[in-house]
Amino acid sequence: MTNTLEFKSSFINNSEKKTALDTEGRDLLARPRFSLRLHLLLVFILFSFLSMAIIIGSVIAISSIDKKMHFVQTSERYLFEIAQARRWEKNYFLYDTNLEDAVQSAGNAKTFLSQNLKKFITVLSAEETAGMIEHLEKYRSLLQDLQDLTVLKKNGIENTEKKNKIETSLRKHGAEMVKVAAALVYKEQNSMNAMLHLIQRIPIYCFAVVLLLTIFLARFLVKRLIRPLNLLIESTQRIAKGDFSPVPPICKYRGEFTAVEVAINQMCRELKSREVAMVESHKLRAIGTLTAGVAHELNNPLNNIMLTAHAMLEDHNNLSEDGLLEMINDLINEADKSRSIIRNLLDFSRESESVSEPLDLGALVGETIKLTLNQAKVSGVKIETQIQPDLPRIRGDKQQLKQVFLNLILNALDAVEKEGNIKINVKKADSPKFLAVQVEDNGCGIPSHILPNIFDPFFTTKGPGKGTGLGLSVSHGIITMHRGQISIETEEGKYTRFTVTLPFRTVPAVLNKT
Amino acid sequence: MKEKLDILLLDDEAIVGNRLKPALKKVGCDVELFEDPKKALNRIREKKFDIVITDIMMPSVNGIQILEEVRKKSDITKVIIITGYATVALAREAMDKGAFDMIAKPFTPDNLRSVIAKAADSLGYKKIIAKA
Repeated sequence: MTNTLEFKSSFINNSEKKTALDTEGRDLLARPRFSLRLHLLLVFILFSFLSMAIIIGSVIAISSIDKKMHFVQTSERYLFEIAQARRWEKNYFLYDTNLEDAVQSAGNAKTFLSQNLKKFITVLSAEETAGMIEHLEKYRSLLQDLQDLTVLKKNGIENTEKKNKIETSLRKHGAEMVKVAAALVYKEQNSMNAMLHLIQRIPIYCFAVVLLLTIFLARFLVKRLIRPLNLLIESTQRIAKGDFSPVPPICKYRGEFTAVEVAINQMCRELKSREVAMVESHKLRAIGTLTAGVAHELNNPLNNIMLTAHAMLEDHNNLSEDGLLEMINDLINEADKSRSIIRNLLDFSRESESVSEPLDLGALVGETIKLTLNQAKVSGVKIETQIQPDLPRIRGDKQQLKQVFLNLILNALDAVEKEGNIKINVKKADSPKFLAVQVEDNGCGIPSHILPNIFDPFFTTKGPGKGTGLGLSVSHGIITMHRGQISIETEEGKYTRFTVTLPFRTVPAVLNKT
Repeated sequence: MKEKLDILLLDDEAIVGNRLKPALKKVGCDVELFEDPKKALNRIREKKFDIVITDIMMPSVNGIQILEEVRKKSDITKVIIITGYATVALAREAMDKGAFDMIAKPFTPDNLRSVIAKAADSLGYKKIIAKA
């Protein structure tokens, strides 16, 4: 009950404190609370109960042994009294003395028995007790008879026959009486011994149980502590690699780790938004690189338009109709050229949300190459393109993928010297259901010691102000998001080959052509 | 002295030549047009021109190479560089290597003619300056 109350109040607190919490965070916090503190408390309570049970058990066992000891003493006393009576009885028959004492002892036994009747009844059955009492009563009455005979004898009346008869009966009941009492003592002693034996063993059993329980609980607690920690470590490693999806709930219930999860999720969200900003800034940088090429590209048609317009202005009187038409057509064509250049640049720089659509990978790569052709022309680099025909379509974000291939081609352009060669290949990958795009240059290659870092954000080999160090990192992120892979083969001074593999759709391409 | 200036005009864009040739003829220039830089290079090796006008960014051969080739052939030939995207580094390189002037696209025929007039002036062709 207290749990639910606590859960409610802290939920309200949390939601007041962090109004900006996302849905995952709220889901995480909305689970019933079962914290580590509660775990420890439960374990502690369990152990307290256990030790209390052990203590109570021992007290009960010891007090029952105490009782048994008392009972054994009692029965021994009883046995002593009747044994005494029997000794006096024997003396009487042998030497004719001590009959009074025998009667006295039997009386003592009787008194003692009736005093402790309750104790006897708890140990013996009612019939046994009744039998005991009966034998004692009989014995006593026989002794009484014997006393009467003795009185008669003093008065001169001898009744040997009766005396003998009494003697036989007396012996029989006496023996029976002693036998029952001795058996009782023996039985009680045995039971007491058994109990003592048990009590000696109890600490060992308890120790074993406590040990097993401790091991089990320790393992349980460690699992509750270590498993979430390991999961968190895994998550952080995953995040370090650029996967910013939220952490899955690591425990079934809400606890101390929930706060960590919520914090990590918040961090992921921040990182994600920063990454978007980083990608944007990288895009701007790439646009800067492209601008040099684009400006040249754009100035050409502009120049043509200008020259043509001026020619028309100067010579419009002397121009033939054909000459005029030619110039007008030139104007239109050059204006068209400018438009398509600007459209290409805008396509790349347009702020766009990630949209997944069926794409013709070959065409997409072709468009990207077009963007870089001028840059290549300036650096005197030859770009060879091989696109396998009739490839199945892939699904993905056109702008993002264009950016990846643009990054790879611009990198290749940076890597090659003048008169270098870039080969671009679009084909089916070795693994089924994947397409591969290879961008290979015969440039400087990548030294093996920096190879592990090339996908790291902000890692760049270019001079200050030349590269953001984000190109490959961003490309890697984009390709991973498309469930593809990006790999690299390189030999220093010889070549570098980037291979991007992307899964294609299994639906026949014909159906997608709409 | 010759009456006309010998000019070689090299640009891989055909329209540039087509429009400039008549514009320059008007001011008394003999213009040879080239679109292929390699052919232009061959012609430069054959003949001393008064002025060579070349685009700087072309496939296979660039304007700087043309400039160097002109310098090998003749000291007095004036080289005017046309560029689509002017950078300081490029301008410096061209000037260091002895270019007469640079002109950035887009330009008007008059822009070019006034540069040519300056070049003609330094070559001693007063007549052309007067016309321009």
